[in-house]
Amino acid sequence: MGFLAPWFLAGLAALGVPVFVHLLRKHVTTPRPVSSLMFFERGIQSSTRHQRLRYLLLFALRSALLLLLVLAFANPFVRRPATDANGRGLLIVLDNSFSMRKGTRFADAKQQARALLAAKPHAQKAQVIALGGQLQVLTQLINDESQLRSALESIQPGEGHANFGDLGRSIRAMAETVQRPIDLHLFSDMQRTAMPANFADIVLPPNVTLLLHDVAKGTAPPNWTVERVSAPTELADPKDPKRSRVEAVVAGFGTPQAEKTISLVVNGKPIAKHKVNVPANGRAAVEFAPIDVAYGFNRCEVRIEGGDAFPADDASNFVIRRSDPERVLFVHAANDTRSALYFGAALGSAAQASLVLQSVNAEQATDLDPSKFSFVVLSDAVTLPSIFEHTLAQYVTKGGSVLIALGTNAGRHAHIPLWGTDVKDVHDYSRTGGAATVGQADFTHPALEQKQPGRDNGGWAETKFFYAAYVDPGSARVAERLSDGTPLLLDQQIGEGRVLLFASGLENLTNDLPLHPVFVAFVDKVARYLSGRERFSGSQLVDSFLQLRLASAPVDEVANVEVIDPDGRRPLSLSEARTVQTLRLQRTGFYQVRLANGRDAVIGVNPDRRESDLQPIAQDVQQLWSGNISHSAPVQTAAIDDVKYRPINLWWYVMLLALVVALAETALASRYIGTQREEA
Amino acid sequence: MQRFLDPAVLAGISSLDLLAKTVVDGFVAGLHRSPDFGFSQEFAEYRAYAPGDDLRHVDWNLFARTERCYLKRYRGETSSQLTVLLDASNSMQYTSGPPPKMDYARFIAASLFYLAIRNQRDAAGLIVFDDEVRDYIRPSTRQGQLMRLFAGLEQAEPRARTDYGKPLRHFQALLHRRGIVIVISDFYEEPETIVRMIEPLRFHGNDVVLFHILDPQELRPELNGPAILVDLETDQKIEVIPEYAKTIYRSKVQTHIEHLRTRTRAAGMDYHLLVTDQPLDTALREYLSLRHAGN
Repeated sequence: MGFLAPWFLAGLAALGVPVFVHLLRKHVTTPRPVSSLMFFERGIQSSTRHQRLRYLLLFALRSALLLLLVLAFANPFVRRPATDANGRGLLIVLDNSFSMRKGTRFADAKQQARALLAAKPHAQKAQVIALGGQLQVLTQLINDESQLRSALESIQPGEGHANFGDLGRSIRAMAETVQRPIDLHLFSDMQRTAMPANFADIVLPPNVTLLLHDVAKGTAPPNWTVERVSAPTELADPKDPKRSRVEAVVAGFGTPQAEKTISLVVNGKPIAKHKVNVPANGRAAVEFAPIDVAYGFNRCEVRIEGGDAFPADDASNFVIRRSDPERVLFVHAANDTRSALYFGAALGSAAQASLVLQSVNAEQATDLDPSKFSFVVLSDAVTLPSIFEHTLAQYVTKGGSVLIALGTNAGRHAHIPLWGTDVKDVHDYSRTGGAATVGQADFTHPALEQKQPGRDNGGWAETKFFYAAYVDPGSARVAERLSDGTPLLLDQQIGEGRVLLFASGLENLTNDLPLHPVFVAFVDKVARYLSGRERFSGSQLVDSFLQLRLASAPVDEVANVEVIDPDGRRPLSLSEARTVQTLRLQRTGFYQVRLANGRDAVIGVNPDRRESDLQPIAQDVQQLWSGNISHSAPVQTAAIDDVKYRPINLWWYVMLLALVVALAETALASRYIGTQREEA
Repeated sequence: MQRFLDPAVLAGISSLDLLAKTVVDGFVAGLHRSPDFGFSQEFAEYRAYAPGDDLRHVDWNLFARTERCYLKRYRGETSSQLTVLLDASNSMQYTSGPPPKMDYARFIAASLFYLAIRNQRDAAGLIVFDDEVRDYIRPSTRQGQLMRLFAGLEQAEPRARTDYGKPLRHFQALLHRRGIVIVISDFYEEPETIVRMIEPLRFHGNDVVLFHILDPQELRPELNGPAILVDLETDQKIEVIPEYAKTIYRSKVQTHIEHLRTRTRAAGMDYHLLVTDQPLDTALREYLSLRHAGN
């Protein structure tokens, strides 16, 4: 505390006035003459003392008034940190990822967090965050203990995969808005797989102090898990030796060599068992073939018999749908005879495909019903019978998918069926003696999807395009462009359906794409994308999202979606069923879904297998993580010393207090004077 | 001297019937009637003979007829004698505001003297006393008596303390003729003592009236806080708190007054409390009215 005008403190000498008046000056009582003391008696001492006490109270008020006035003029202030003593925010992060289901880890972590919350000062603000597959901020920085406690109690063991990188990013974003120092208490099993690839992702801001509460208790127990299952999502022929097979990889984490029994369970009935010798801390593959499943959706499970320290991850769910092969309608121009050959060969080579190509001439397509096909390919077929074009438009509007490839006919007929706009120009690169290559490719598009495309542009760099039509993309998504900027692959939603436009042909005249291996992958992904199998594959991870309807569909024209979770409950309300576009798959098990376009799907959901590796982060890494803060602590402290302290002027409060004291003094003094008048 | 003879005061008294006061003791025909039975020819009453009675007053004619001794009593006409006993002790100089009790007592005495001598032709005398008789002016109707009385009142300055015992022994010697005796004092003494000392005057056939002069502050004292009070007569000092003065003191004074009134009236004397903030004529008028009502 200090004074901005300390010389005014000399006014404290004025305190001598009430001291003199009340204490030093003798109360001279002039004796009053009376006729006789016959009826008088000596006064009682206590009453006199009471009177003196009243004077002392008045004296105290007057002294306080003078003192406060002097203090107010002296302009007092206090230096307080920008955040008060309890200004350190308390951030409680409770890991509820899948691995926390192991033993009593989650209960222990919750109990420790509960104890920390109970021990915090009442004025300290705290925030509760659940770290699972997603970071859930359950409260803001508040000091309402009941709300914090209820938020903490609401956290239940989840099935997602924790990522400390997400935590670091969120805390860094939070620190941009919260300037106060934060104590981050992380209650977790400190799983090694939760660490991001880049250590910089978990570095916390300078004002955040990390305190780790490891509930793993020692080394990780040995744990086996079904790491991966390869199974056909669609199966047409159970006796097909190429496709009717389930391959599973059993992995051990921190395990000795052991022989494990792996069983395949279909619709709750074990149909096959195999013993496999899993090497120490290694992996072993097991194959079940052929698999005999019934028509429709079959809920399958590969399970490790015998159990281990973490039995929750001993099974892997997936779905195999047995159906007759679906057909793809391939409509080509009369002069296009090669594209069907290349496309059909590529489609047949796709491992997961169970599609059969039906190739027809555009002129023969008049009476065909597109709804009987998985999707339709228009190969250089820019002139269609009007009836078929109309039927095809209705098919797309109701959810059908069409791939349009523009061959050399695009130069003669600018009209593009279904697309809405015409061909603006045609680039014939062969006339200039060269060829165009793929300049840009959006590998996030389902038709081109590659998680880690190679340096050869994902295999597209070697392809040469001699002829391509130029189409104004408009509102369509451009997934791929040629080196001169010409849109090569465009994606447009029409109604509930989808139309892919390939601005070149599917034969080897307009480009050499069919001669490259990437063509097979491209056709496979296009087939998956357009047939809808890509979206509804038989196995998904927890916390992945399922698209229930297209975003462009008007709300009042779409049908309800229907979702039944693994517990048999419907997680969507009626209003949500009409509007929600995506569903987050939060639970392990089988989801039964009816999409907005009327298709049914059953999806097996499994936890992220990285959660099965219970190995904790090495101690030195943990120390590095939390100690990383300590290295920058001096800088942080210096910054706080310079910036965080601010003077708070108190004269206003002192004057306010002086006013209150003055009012009290006035009331008491007037009461006393009033008594004197009455007595007079 | 004129301060004793406020015309307004005298006018107020003259308008009242002073006959009511002096009817039993006046010897002067007309306004006053003497309380004595004398030798006039106006028959008053018969009274049975008692041993010791003067045989000259026996009605022998009646005795001849009834063989019983009766005294024949006649209503005598005579001038009355007014004697004022004025307390001039130190306690009488107390005042909480003009006039002091002493001045107030002088006003009353002067008014009574004037009334008695000028209007009623009565003999009037004055005895000033404190703890002894300090001044005595014999009752008389002589020329200049009124002036002497006024001078006696002027010289009666308060001093010493009151002691009813010593001066009253002299009163009995001085007051050998019956009349109206008015004692003006603040009576700071036990009622029994006062009555015991004054009662002999009544035994001599005097009509005794006690004028109790008090200041309003003596009836309802108000203290700002604990105060030191000094007795004007004894110089004794004590500290008194306001709460006591407000409650117990007032109760004691009222008890004293009531006791004094009761005892004096029981002894055949009149008692009147006169507070110095009351108008002078009002006090006399009240007394005379009460006197008239008593008759």
